Amino acid sequence: MNPRPDMIEFQDVHKYYGDYHALRGITATIKAGEFFSLLGPSGCGKTTLLRTIAGFEGISSGAVMIDGKNMAGVPANVRPTNMVFQSYAIFPHLTVEQNVGFGLRKDPMSKDQKARAVAEALEMVGLKGYGARAAHALSGGQRQRVALARALILKPKVLLLDEPLSALDKKMREQMQVELIRLQRQVGITFILVTHDQEEALVMSDRIAVMFEGEIAQLADPETLYRRPNSKKVADFIGTMNFLPARIVSEAGGMVEVEAQGFGAMTLTTEQCAAAGADKAGAMVGFRPETLTILFDGQTATDRETMGTVAEVVYYGDMTYYDVKLDGTEVPMRLSMRNVFGRPVLDLGTRTRIAWSPGALVLFR
Amino acid sequence: MNKGSGLRVYAIVYLVFLYAPIILLPLFAFNDSRVIAFPLTGFTTGWFAAMWEDEQLFRALRNSLIISGSTAIFATTLGIFAARASTRYSFPGKSGLLGLIMLPLVLPEMIMAMSLLVVLLWIGIPLSIWTIILGHILICTPFAVAILSSAFQSLDKSLEEAAYDLGENAVSTFRLIILPLVMPGIVSSLLICFTISLDEFIIAYFLGGSDTPLSAYIYGQFRFPARVPAMLALGTILVGVSILLLSIAEYFRRRGLARTGAKDTGGFL
Ligand SMILES: Nc1ncnc2c1ncn2[C@@H]1O[C@H](COP(=O)(O)OP(=O)(O)O)[C@@H](O)[C@H]1O
Ligand SMILES: [Mg+2]
Repeated sequence: MNPRPDMIEFQDVHKYYGDYHALRGITATIKAGEFFSLLGPSGCGKTTLLRTIAGFEGISSGAVMIDGKNMAGVPANVRPTNMVFQSYAIFPHLTVEQNVGFGLRKDPMSKDQKARAVAEALEMVGLKGYGARAAHALSGGQRQRVALARALILKPKVLLLDEPLSALDKKMREQMQVELIRLQRQVGITFILVTHDQEEALVMSDRIAVMFEGEIAQLADPETLYRRPNSKKVADFIGTMNFLPARIVSEAGGMVEVEAQGFGAMTLTTEQCAAAGADKAGAMVGFRPETLTILFDGQTATDRETMGTVAEVVYYGDMTYYDVKLDGTEVPMRLSMRNVFGRPVLDLGTRTRIAWSPGALVLFR
Repeated sequence: MNKGSGLRVYAIVYLVFLYAPIILLPLFAFNDSRVIAFPLTGFTTGWFAAMWEDEQLFRALRNSLIISGSTAIFATTLGIFAARASTRYSFPGKSGLLGLIMLPLVLPEMIMAMSLLVVLLWIGIPLSIWTIILGHILICTPFAVAILSSAFQSLDKSLEEAAYDLGENAVSTFRLIILPLVMPGIVSSLLICFTISLDEFIIAYFLGGSDTPLSAYIYGQFRFPARVPAMLALGTILVGVSILLLSIAEYFRRRGLARTGAKDTGGFL
């Protein structure tokens, strides 16, 4: 990827609601043309941060820059951003057409040109021919598309989306995820998405900022976030991660000697270490469910091997989740196995061999 | 007798007490007798004709229309400001201020009328239809605020933000988005204020000068037994008009809810 210019820059942004410290020193940059997500639990300040970009929320200190310009004192109606609201905010007394063309009201282009622009925008979001419909009679998914068309028709530099998919059912949500990605590639506009759904963020984003309590805990691309979370909190929030107590034996030259329950002695690189600087007694190794593999008859481990007992089986059709108690540990670990035709699902209590590799572990300390 | 039918009997008795007198109004308005008593003696439209020839009555009607029309417009305008302020902004003393605006709703009208009269006489403002309008604005504004608050409340705040986000300013957002969406509430408030003012008597009687509105005129006419049937005819028309206006008001209130997709939390009617 060639280097892109910065589109949004947060410089130590703080926001207070009275005494409540909603944003606690946000510093980050979002690149032009990027699909960027703000991910975090409800109440962590995602919407507040998004609204500081739109100009609906003033900031207490720091600076928000859009395309190199400081936005202090610039009101929302002249900022080069448009927003898709969580409630979609479709004007209920107007038609679909009038909604989509609303932002063009003061545009000097001719009536014909406007009508064409509206038709194009509607076609882009898959609502061709819906122009004359009354807005209040639309379904949730259609409202969402109208909101998208209404924002994109103005060709903003940045499109802000506040939990746009949270009101849709699962199937519709997955379909819209794919469409949003397609749309973003097509128009090339910077998209900033607010979501509390980690899967949605992983699926859609180029980069994700994980937020907790008004702070960005980690900002990285989806793969890094998943494979190398920088804290236990991030690891817990994104996907499933198993933890086992560990002890750091020694550390030298970028290598860490670790003694972990159930796994025994191993050597990890410092890249595998999250959040350095804590006390050694509370260290833990973490691993994702799919990084450990149950070995069936005749299979051999490519790296290391241990034994465990199946304590729980959850069958999902394409996948089976096993809770396995590794020998020498107290708490069952969650493992996921893709189901293969002709291979049985293991019964409760089965003793089984398990393959693992130190390279897939993350050390939290 | 089970519990349900007991309640039903209660409801029927209640409704009879509430509405029987109103049904008597047209009954005697069409009765061919000066005496208001059963049995009915015959059918006539003569009382309506007598009413029609009454010049004083038309003057009273004109006064009433001016009073009720002005009251409806002023009270609704004040209501828009108050409802907007109460649903969007917070400022110190807000609930106290709103309480003061709503106070005439529970204050005896008698007290209002007397205290206003004292103040007006003390300042030296002569009594006229304008002093009645002043009094009516005071008693109608709480209704306007209540109706309009619910209209403004059901307005999603993000609609305003969306208009702003799409390049409009505060004034054009109000004109293009807020006003059309609360318009049913405004119409409903106008009609209800008009109806309340039209039917109001105590303030109209206390604060009126030589120009009496309908309510005070009707009261005056009751001193002459011969005039009573004609007044019942007039009353019949007023009941009809009131029911019509309130129905239209309710229609607009419901249409407003349907348009914004809000849930009906019950209105005045
Ligand atoms: N206008 C406001 N006044 C006071 N507190 C607010 C306001 N808006 C948001 N907050 C508080 O700020 C915190 C962050 O809110 P928000 O940004 O909406 O969270 P998120 O979108 O991540 O769920 C919440 O605790 C919320 O209660
Ligand atoms: Mg939010």
